Amino acid sequence: MSRESILKAVKANKPDALALPNIDLSVFDEDINLVDRFKENIEFVGGRLLELNGLDHLDTEIKRLYPEAQKIVSCTKQSGLGTVSVSKETDPHTLEDIDLAIIKGSIAVAENGAVWVSDEDMFVRALPFITNDLILVVPKNAVYLHMHEVFEVISKREKTFGTFISGPSKTADIEQCLVVGAHGAISLTVVLY
Amino acid sequence: MAHAEAATKFNKNEAKVNWHDKALWFVRQKRDRQAHKIQGWEHLRDYASALKANVLSNLDTYLIQFEENAKKNGINVHWAANAEEHNKIVHGILQKHNAKKIVKSKSMLTEECHLNPYLEANDIEVIDTDLGERIVQLAKESPSHIVLPAIHKTKEEVDELFQEHLGTQPSGGNPEYLTREARKHLRNKFLKADAAITGVNFAVADTGGFVVCTNEGNADMGAHLANVHIACMGMEKLIPQEKHLGVFLRLLARSATGQPITTYSSYFNKPEEGKEMHIVIVDNGRTEQLSREDFRRSLHCIRCGACMNTCPIYRRSGGHSYDATIPGPIGSILSPGKDLTKHSSLPFASTLCGSCSDVCPVKINIHEQLYKWRQIIVKDVPQPFVKKTVMKAAGSVLAKPKTYDFVGKTARFMLKNTPKSIINSKVNTWGHARDLPEVKGDNFEEWYKKRQKNE
Ligand code: SF4
Repeated sequence: MSRESILKAVKANKPDALALPNIDLSVFDEDINLVDRFKENIEFVGGRLLELNGLDHLDTEIKRLYPEAQKIVSCTKQSGLGTVSVSKETDPHTLEDIDLAIIKGSIAVAENGAVWVSDEDMFVRALPFITNDLILVVPKNAVYLHMHEVFEVISKREKTFGTFISGPSKTADIEQCLVVGAHGAISLTVVLY
Repeated sequence: MAHAEAATKFNKNEAKVNWHDKALWFVRQKRDRQAHKIQGWEHLRDYASALKANVLSNLDTYLIQFEENAKKNGINVHWAANAEEHNKIVHGILQKHNAKKIVKSKSMLTEECHLNPYLEANDIEVIDTDLGERIVQLAKESPSHIVLPAIHKTKEEVDELFQEHLGTQPSGGNPEYLTREARKHLRNKFLKADAAITGVNFAVADTGGFVVCTNEGNADMGAHLANVHIACMGMEKLIPQEKHLGVFLRLLARSATGQPITTYSSYFNKPEEGKEMHIVIVDNGRTEQLSREDFRRSLHCIRCGACMNTCPIYRRSGGHSYDATIPGPIGSILSPGKDLTKHSSLPFASTLCGSCSDVCPVKINIHEQLYKWRQIIVKDVPQPFVKKTVMKAAGSVLAKPKTYDFVGKTARFMLKNTPKSIINSKVNTWGHARDLPEVKGDNFEEWYKKRQKNE
C-alpha cells in the first residue's frame, strides 16, 4: 500500500497552514415562516406536503392518496396500515415489490424541502429507495431554516447512516426533460403534523 | 487532436450545437435563480473556499484523522498512489468476494482511472447505473459533462440505443417511456449485483463518514442491496468537520443544476450489519498539483459543473472536444497538470471572460489559472508554426510571470501590430471565427485587474 509515500508527499507539497474559518451563522438568518418555505421547496422538487392537525386521520389520508397500495411497510406506530413487517434482519432484496413505505422523518429543512431520515427510523437502509411510493411523517416543530441548523441538531446522533430526501427520485438525462421516478421512489409525500 | 479541431467537428451539426448551447445556458440560469434566492450566498462561497484552502494546507493530518475515524466505524480504508493501484485494489476486494456483477454510480474518479475496462478485462461486469452514464456506456462513449454525462446525445439517439441494447419499442425518443424502461432494466441489475461501487462527494475528517449525492437514487439502490460497498474518492474530497457539510450541501446542487439540494444526500458512517464497506483514497497526480502554487486551488473543485454550463467555449464545442475525463474550464486547468504536451491546447479553449470563476461555488480563480498555463505552455511546448509566429515577440515577455506591466505593453503592441493575414491564415484554426480582441489603448494590467475583481 502506498499510504506512507502518499502522506509523505502531501506533507512535503502542502502550502503553509491556513486557519479554519469561523462560520458566522447570522449572515444566513432569515425571518420567514418555516412551514411555508418548506412547502414552497418541496413542491418545487416534485414532492407533496400534507399538513395535518395531529395524526388521528393519518391512515384515512394515506388511503385516500394511495388507494391502490397493497404491500405496505409501516416503520412507525403512527400508522397501522402496514401489511408487510420489516426488521433490521430483513433481506432488502425481498422489498423489491413494496408499494408504499411509511417512515418517520426526524427533521425537515425549509431551505430545500429535504427530510432527514435516520437508519433507525427506516429499519432497512434500502427501504426508502426501493419502495414505489414513500411517505415521511415529520412533526411540525422539527422544521429548521437551513442545513447549518440541521447539522447542529443531528450532531449528537449515533452515527451509522442517514439520508436527506428531497422529493421523489428523478432524472433529466434524456435531452434535459425532467422525468420523475428514476431508480428510487416514484412519489414522495411529507406529512407535517 | 487539438481542442479547436475537435470543436470544429462538433460544430458540423449546427442545430445540435445550438441546442447544446441553449440547454446548458438554461441550467446556468436555473443556478442563478437558486443562488439569488438564498440569504448569504456569497458568504457561503467565501466559507467554502476558505474551508477547502484549510483542507489543502492540512491535508495529511485530515487524511490520517479521516482514516482513523472511518476504521473505528468498521470501514476498510485503502490508499492508491495512482490509477493502476486504485484499479488493483478494487479488483482485489471484488475477487475476495468472488463478485462478478457490479453496479456503479457516478464517479469521475473511476472514469479518470479507467476502472471499467480494467474490470471488464478481468471478466467482471460493470454496469453504470446513472441514466446518463448508462446511455454513454451503451454507446461506448465517455461522459461529455461531469453532471450531465449524456448532454451531447439526442433523444432519438437514446431511443435507438435502447432498442438495440434493451429491446425497447421505437418511441421517437419519448423520455418518459425510455426512463421507465431504464428503470426496469437497471432494477434487475441492482437486485443481482454482488458489489456496488460509488463515488464520494464529501468525506468528513472528524467523523470518518462520507456523503454521496444523487437525484436518481442509484448510489443508494446499489450500496444498500449489495453485500459489499466500495467508495472511491480523490483525496481532495475531504472536509474538516461534519458541520461543514452544511456549507457544501447548500452550494453543490444549486450550482450544479439549480436544485436546492439533490434528491438524495446520503451520509454513510458505518456498514450495515453483516455487510462490508471500503474506501479507496486516491492520489493519481493530486499531490503534484498540490505542489504547484499557481494551480493548487484547482483541488478545491467539488465537481458541480457550473463552470461548464456557463462557458461560451464549452457550450459550443461539447465536452468530448477536450479529450479528457474532466472537460470544460476546470478540466483545462487539471489536464495540463497531468500531461502538458497532450493537453497544451486546452488553456487556449477559453475567452478568459471569467464567467467560470464568477459561478464557481468554491471560488477557484479558473480563468486566471488558464492564463497562467498559457504562459507556461508558450514557453515549454513546441507550438504550431503560426501560433508561434503570433506569440514569438511576446513569448519572451509572457514567459516571465509577475511582470504584468511589461506584458501589458507588449500585448497591446502585439494585438495592434499582428497582421490579420497571419491570424486568419489557414493553419491557424482559432483565427477563422475569432479576431484577436480589439484594443483601444486600454492598459492590459488594468483590464486584467478588472477581470480579477469580477470574482
Ligand atoms: S471548478 Fe468550480 S464551477 Fe467548475 S466544476 Fe469545480 S467547483 Fe464547479
